[in-house]
Amino acid sequence: MHRPLTVRLAALLAATTLVVTACGRDDGTDSATTDDTTETTTADDGSGGEAAAFINPDEDCDDYQGTAGIEGTTIKIGTVRPAAGPYAIYDKVTAGLDAFVTATNNKGGVKAGDGKTYTLELVKEDDAYDPAQTPAKVQKLVEQDGVFAIVGQIGTANNLAVRETLNDACVPSIALATGSTEWGKADEFPWFIGGLPSYATEAVAFLDWLKTDQPAAKIALLYQDDDFGKAYQAAIAKYVEGTEMTIAAEQAFNPLNETSPESKVADLASSGADVFFVGIGGAPCPAALRSVPASWTPLTYVSITCASKTAMSLAQGKDEGVYSTQATMDPASTEDQADERVQAFIADAGAAGMAQADIEGGVTTAGWNFGAIFVRALELAPTVDRATVMNTLYSMEGENFGMLRPEVQVNTDGAEDPWLIEDLRIIKRVGGQWTKVADSVSYDGQSNDLAG
Amino acid sequence: MSTTAAPGVPARLLRAAPWVALVVVLVVLPQVLQPYWVNRVTGWIPLAIAALGLNLLTGYNGQISVGHGALYGLGAYATALVVNEWDWPFLAAIAVGAVVCFGAGVVIGLPALRIKGLYLALVTLAVATLFPQLVEQFSDTTGGTTGLAVTSLQEYRGRMRERSVKFEPPEWTGLAADQWRYYLFLALAAVCFVIVANIVSSRVGRSLVAIRDNEVAAEVSGVNVAATKVFTFGISAALAGVGGGLLALYNARVSSGSFTLAVSLYFLVAVVLGGPATTLGPALGAVLYGLFKDVVEAEVLPEAWKPASPLLLGALLVVTVLVAPGGIVGTTRQVRARFTARRLRGTTPP
Repeated sequence: MHRPLTVRLAALLAATTLVVTACGRDDGTDSATTDDTTETTTADDGSGGEAAAFINPDEDCDDYQGTAGIEGTTIKIGTVRPAAGPYAIYDKVTAGLDAFVTATNNKGGVKAGDGKTYTLELVKEDDAYDPAQTPAKVQKLVEQDGVFAIVGQIGTANNLAVRETLNDACVPSIALATGSTEWGKADEFPWFIGGLPSYATEAVAFLDWLKTDQPAAKIALLYQDDDFGKAYQAAIAKYVEGTEMTIAAEQAFNPLNETSPESKVADLASSGADVFFVGIGGAPCPAALRSVPASWTPLTYVSITCASKTAMSLAQGKDEGVYSTQATMDPASTEDQADERVQAFIADAGAAGMAQADIEGGVTTAGWNFGAIFVRALELAPTVDRATVMNTLYSMEGENFGMLRPEVQVNTDGAEDPWLIEDLRIIKRVGGQWTKVADSVSYDGQSNDLAG
Repeated sequence: MSTTAAPGVPARLLRAAPWVALVVVLVVLPQVLQPYWVNRVTGWIPLAIAALGLNLLTGYNGQISVGHGALYGLGAYATALVVNEWDWPFLAAIAVGAVVCFGAGVVIGLPALRIKGLYLALVTLAVATLFPQLVEQFSDTTGGTTGLAVTSLQEYRGRMRERSVKFEPPEWTGLAADQWRYYLFLALAAVCFVIVANIVSSRVGRSLVAIRDNEVAAEVSGVNVAATKVFTFGISAALAGVGGGLLALYNARVSSGSFTLAVSLYFLVAVVLGGPATTLGPALGAVLYGLFKDVVEAEVLPEAWKPASPLLLGALLVVTVLVAPGGIVGTTRQVRARFTARRLRGTTPP
């Protein structure tokens, strides 16, 4: 008695399934990123200039949507950052990017290489610095909000979590707010380009300078237990090989389940090292400086990601005498404040609504510069589509823009030299300000070789 | 026979109607949703399967576990490693994950024979807390906090390279990749639900409930309490492993941050919201949780309120426990039973 009814139900369901699956999805319900109606669409294949051979969307992309995210004369970009928690200090990076977008629009927009003027729109998402949350946020930006590109996304592990997805979708991720050596793999992941110097190059710049005074330095290394910190670890290990320098002790700090590096610093202090390399970021970085016992007085270096006035102010005076590297202007430095571009930054950022403390904080400068990288690519790109913008970024010659120091020259050459910023100078914290201790050194084209 | 069958058929059809509607909705969903939302809904399925496993253990058998996040993670890592190292098909890799988790579940289930209630919860809590630490301890294999990409050898830019796994639909289906993945996940979830439904309605299922209600009485009635409890832990863990395996393939990446204690609590939330000791309850709970995360938190809540979303979820849970202690399914059943009783009272001749 039950069987006929069951059979009828099964047949009904099977028929429904077959009909529905045979129908497929209507074109109208496809991804929001499809945008064939934009005025700015110019028949292009991303073959922008001499770097055309580097990214060829016809060969590299299954479904290339070069002008997605451009509506009329507005280019929508997205970013992901931690808005709360111990890494919320990086939210200031995004505040800098946000202010840059506002300031650019206040000035009438960007005059791109195709002759048109575009305004920018920024969509922000929060992943709490947790790489497990990043994919959903980026999917929302790309598929729901339909952004043209991701700009200035925070975090090495977070960017790694979406690298393949974005590369496979041929969506650019520009000026990553991380200097992991992973971003040197441009041949494998051409849609990603870093916005900071390589952490390996940074470490080598410091060690090159250190070697002249302390050729037998004993280094205590505190590194973040992810690809960010491990890039320092690998580069330093490679550098000291065959030299008199040694790694006296090293400690890994886990950003997701440890809140204070105090015990790690205490352990390193007992190593007898005369150099303390702080390769961690966020609020734990100044916390590491605070944790240095009075009995230990090493020459201390902090990661470039930590070298902001905002982060140093959290060290409660323990930042005095600390070293770092620098490629951008410092709005908190009285010397740099005399520079025209710093004055313009202070005026434009103020007009865009940025608080004075943030203007001088240094963290916002990084985000501002990420925006400048994207805009410079738009200005130089002969047509505004995703592949051409990326190809432009991979074929820069002697460029200097945004808040980069005047001596910094941006040169790139596809997978051979995918790093935008490779010129660094050594700075020291004196009286609450960064001061130069060594001129800028160029590592142009060497960043990939310097990685461990 | 024919005289009694005629009035029975419409009643059965009426009872079957919600199920038919549910299946139709599930099948039609990816055809009407945008790919972004198809991906979101697909992401709820691993959680639903793991919650189904927890429900078998906690809802039906009365053993409290807040350590299923660890088993979920174990299944995810096992699946990821099998795909990466041995290049096995997805289904086989998930099966390995399920077997590994079954073993782990049995190992945890053995001491659970002597530990009950809150003490068992504490032991499983320790498992959940330790798991991410273990993953980070063996970061050379697991990728630690950075994570481990689930990859296969694919051609890209003229060379064969290790790249994230993908769900490529066969051409004959005419489906997009997101739709194909959804149907595969849904099919596997359906298999899991049928298995659990069969267990629950079998003699073993009755034993589970008997043990939960009165262990001594169950033993006196001839139920092998020890074997049943250990078996339940194993099956429950295997289901968590299947969910974890699907999650690993869904994200094409596993990292320690995906398997924290909070994940174990989300399974409990799904079970409580949907309705403990009901087959469909955990799935409904998972959908509600997914809607909360992907719609309420991501789309509705203003930016300033987003950090408070766990608080809102907690409040929702408290309200559910107070207003509908049986969860959605349990409470619906109670309400329906009350209406039926009232109707029967009304039709009973004086």
